[in-house]
Amino acid sequence: MTTKILTLGNILSRPINILLKQNNVTSNLKTNFSTTSVACVNFFNKLPAEKLWKSVTSVSNAGAKKGRGRGAGRIRIRDLNRGQMIGVGRINMLWPGLSAPVIRGRELLKQQRLPDDQERLEKLIKIRDSMTKFRRLKLSPIERGWSGTKMPGRSLGPPDPIGEDAFTGFDTKVLQLRSLLIMKGNLGRTRNFQALVVTGNGQGLAGFGFGKAKEVPAALRKAKNRSGQKLMHFEIYNGHTIYHDFYTAFGKTKIFVQKKNEGYGLVCHRAIKEICQAIGIKDLRAKVEGSNNLQHIVKAFFIGLLQQRTHQQLAEEKKLHLVEYKAENEYFPKVVASPSEVRTKDQVQKNETLDFTQYVMNDKVILKKKKFPRFYETMPHYKTYLKKYEKYRNHEKIRLNLKVEYGEVKSFLTDKYPEKAETEA
Amino acid sequence: MSLPPASGTGRYFARAAKSIRLIRQGCTNRPFFHISVTHRRRLNSQPVIEQLGSYDPMPNTNNEKLVALNLERVKFWLGKGAHVTDPVAELLGLSGFFPIHPRSYMTAWRNRRTERENIAKLEAEQAKAKPPAS
Amino acid sequence: MSLIFRKLARNNPRNIITDAQILVISCRKLSIVPSVYDGEDPAPKFFSSNVQVLLKRLTRPDFTKVFRKRTSHGLTVLKTPTYKFLTNEELEEEIAKANERADRLLQMPPVVKIQQHIEDVLSKDPALVGYDTAKYIFTDITFGVANEHRFIVERDPDGYLRSCDHDVRKRLNQVYFPTLGRKLREPVMFSDLEKFNSLLDREQYEFVLDRACVQYEPDEPSYQKITSMTYQHVDNKSKYELLRSTRHFGPLVFYLTWHQTMDKLMLELLQSGAVREAVLLTALRQDIHGDVANGDVARTIVQQILPTPVQLTKPETLTEEDIQLDSKCVECIEKYIVSNSSMKSQQELALQGFREHYQQLIELSRGLKKAHGKQ
Repeated sequence: MTTKILTLGNILSRPINILLKQNNVTSNLKTNFSTTSVACVNFFNKLPAEKLWKSVTSVSNAGAKKGRGRGAGRIRIRDLNRGQMIGVGRINMLWPGLSAPVIRGRELLKQQRLPDDQERLEKLIKIRDSMTKFRRLKLSPIERGWSGTKMPGRSLGPPDPIGEDAFTGFDTKVLQLRSLLIMKGNLGRTRNFQALVVTGNGQGLAGFGFGKAKEVPAALRKAKNRSGQKLMHFEIYNGHTIYHDFYTAFGKTKIFVQKKNEGYGLVCHRAIKEICQAIGIKDLRAKVEGSNNLQHIVKAFFIGLLQQRTHQQLAEEKKLHLVEYKAENEYFPKVVASPSEVRTKDQVQKNETLDFTQYVMNDKVILKKKKFPRFYETMPHYKTYLKKYEKYRNHEKIRLNLKVEYGEVKSFLTDKYPEKAETEA
Repeated sequence: MSLPPASGTGRYFARAAKSIRLIRQGCTNRPFFHISVTHRRRLNSQPVIEQLGSYDPMPNTNNEKLVALNLERVKFWLGKGAHVTDPVAELLGLSGFFPIHPRSYMTAWRNRRTERENIAKLEAEQAKAKPPAS
Repeated sequence: MSLIFRKLARNNPRNIITDAQILVISCRKLSIVPSVYDGEDPAPKFFSSNVQVLLKRLTRPDFTKVFRKRTSHGLTVLKTPTYKFLTNEELEEEIAKANERADRLLQMPPVVKIQQHIEDVLSKDPALVGYDTAKYIFTDITFGVANEHRFIVERDPDGYLRSCDHDVRKRLNQVYFPTLGRKLREPVMFSDLEKFNSLLDREQYEFVLDRACVQYEPDEPSYQKITSMTYQHVDNKSKYELLRSTRHFGPLVFYLTWHQTMDKLMLELLQSGAVREAVLLTALRQDIHGDVANGDVARTIVQQILPTPVQLTKPETLTEEDIQLDSKCVECIEKYIVSNSSMKSQQELALQGFREHYQQLIELSRGLKKAHGKQ
């Protein structure tokens, strides 16, 4: 590559030499020719640099059709002026007033030739080389979003402060960034960018916002600041999960959300996961059905969260105690909410839904699909395999026990009946 | 999915003769026996009617040979007229459930005899070795 | 501790110390000596209904601790909780059921006399000498027989047919009818004294006692030694709070009372202001030894205390009945301290502190009542 550029540089500088030579020639001839030469017009000085570069880096339409320019895009435009300074050239001259001060100390500097700088060319080549390589933007795994260097899933930091109110403890995550193409009468097809972000402080406050702009950063900034102004507060049960299972929908998007115990984690769509992290929900399971339009998912999930009822509200609605049973607490009945007045058994109607899950799901029943056996389980070879390996079922445990007891796989019988090869040795 | 249980899946014919016998399980160089009731004319490799116990002929770390017996079911099958093979009868005899089997006495007597002979041989050798020294 | 001694023993060949001596020395330093119930049988007293009621009450069951979060049974994730809408009556039923479950969780490990060796020759047959060099052990695996009633006999190389001793019985029962969590070999935490002591120093009393319950039978010498050492360690450090609301508190109190070393516990009770429980403790001593000066008085007060609810925390307001009962309790304990206690001065001090605090409380609650009454 470097050699190519060198040659290119030489070619570019050559016409000047020619020009100079011609001038010399003319002076020798002592004839009054105009300084503008006609003879030295060639490919390189006929066209502007921009067009020259284009011819190198891209392929014409017709060429592309023929399959030319496979490596198009690899060669990149280089700024050959970079690293060059006016007044500094191959011949190291001192130009007072251009490349050096006119007066240094008390003496007046004179125009003079300094010893040649050997490293200058190497430095130039190095600078030009650094421009040739195509470098992909590298991100640390922490900064990275859902996929590569794409914006969705990446953090943007807190929204900008409004007046004196700063958003401390907030963090914004990009959920969607897409380009919209709009036809306009006089401009033709124009491109806009739309961003969807969610911001939250991880303690119940969160909001989402859209932003549209001609440029990506502007769209992201707009969305971020707008989401900061649309904060909603959500109750979190015991600081880790939602209050109850719920069903929510927006358009054709349906989401079934389930409450889970501590340590379960967020098992859901990645956008829902980001929203939960923004709010501060740690354990939850969600299943998206129907359309998986991302904006619909976000809206549906927020609507579902807003429609949640706390345990106290549920108890008041039912006028019954709400009792929690946990397996890890030996199913001890813990009263999580009591209404101001409790109904007696006679006041509870017969056709009332008393089952908690059914009640919070508004009598909607989730269809649980039947689990089919794994494809190989019905095959005859699987039966053979099971029979064959039945006798080895405890071997792993036994080996472990022997290692614990004797330090290797041996038993008291090994000492009693030593191997013959050993005895011979 | 597992193998059919050792406690028995064999077909049962009420009027066929039964026998209580040792059936070798385990693997090469590691014998282990099930005490099982099966038809007398059936092979040991075939499924048994019922397993009645187990016998491990290799002494464990404490120099013990472990025998397990489901005495209730043994009694039941004896009542049904099942035959008992000699090795099982020996084990039952040692356990005190049967009178001691004559073969046990014979084995014990032979073992004592060989031991006595061995001691005598040793003594004779020592006696032979001594005179040249003295 | 013993390591240092072992090193000493290695360095100075003159004063050779055996392991047994090391054990005694290292224990004496902490004044912990393993003991077993080998004299009078404690079982009739332990299982008598009076003592059981007292021990259960002294456990001071706090449901938040009884039903605390326990390790899930091999599950990587906790199960999702379930919810129910309940009326008042249903809630009471559920709480009653939970009470039963708490009783099951708080069921005390039995305190019984140490087991005797089984020496029982069933038959002698000298003609079988030389039959085999190994023992034959026969186990009756008949379905539905309890482990302790199972026939386990051995035919020795000398031709004797004997019943097996307890250790062999335990081993074979574990081979043929395994108990979950019990190991065939003794766990290192029990067999290695250093490891055991380090556990005690880390105050893992409940873990040690729970594990001992699984590994041993209550009449085994090793069980009684281990539990007695743990109880003494708890007593020395006065860390009774760690065992409260667990099933091990009853046996601990019984152990201390049986060996007449419950004065430190009494002091702790007085310092924490639990006078009623102190009276229960004197009544327990009266039931077990019958040597308390005013034992009968204590017993009558116990009858009044039992119907009142368990005091998990110090009371903030008092009713007139409470005041009456507590003053009776204080009188009873005063007599106990004078006649039976071995830590008289400290206990008297603690009681004095309680009295002062209580007097303030009485004035406060009476004043409050007056104020409310006037309104």
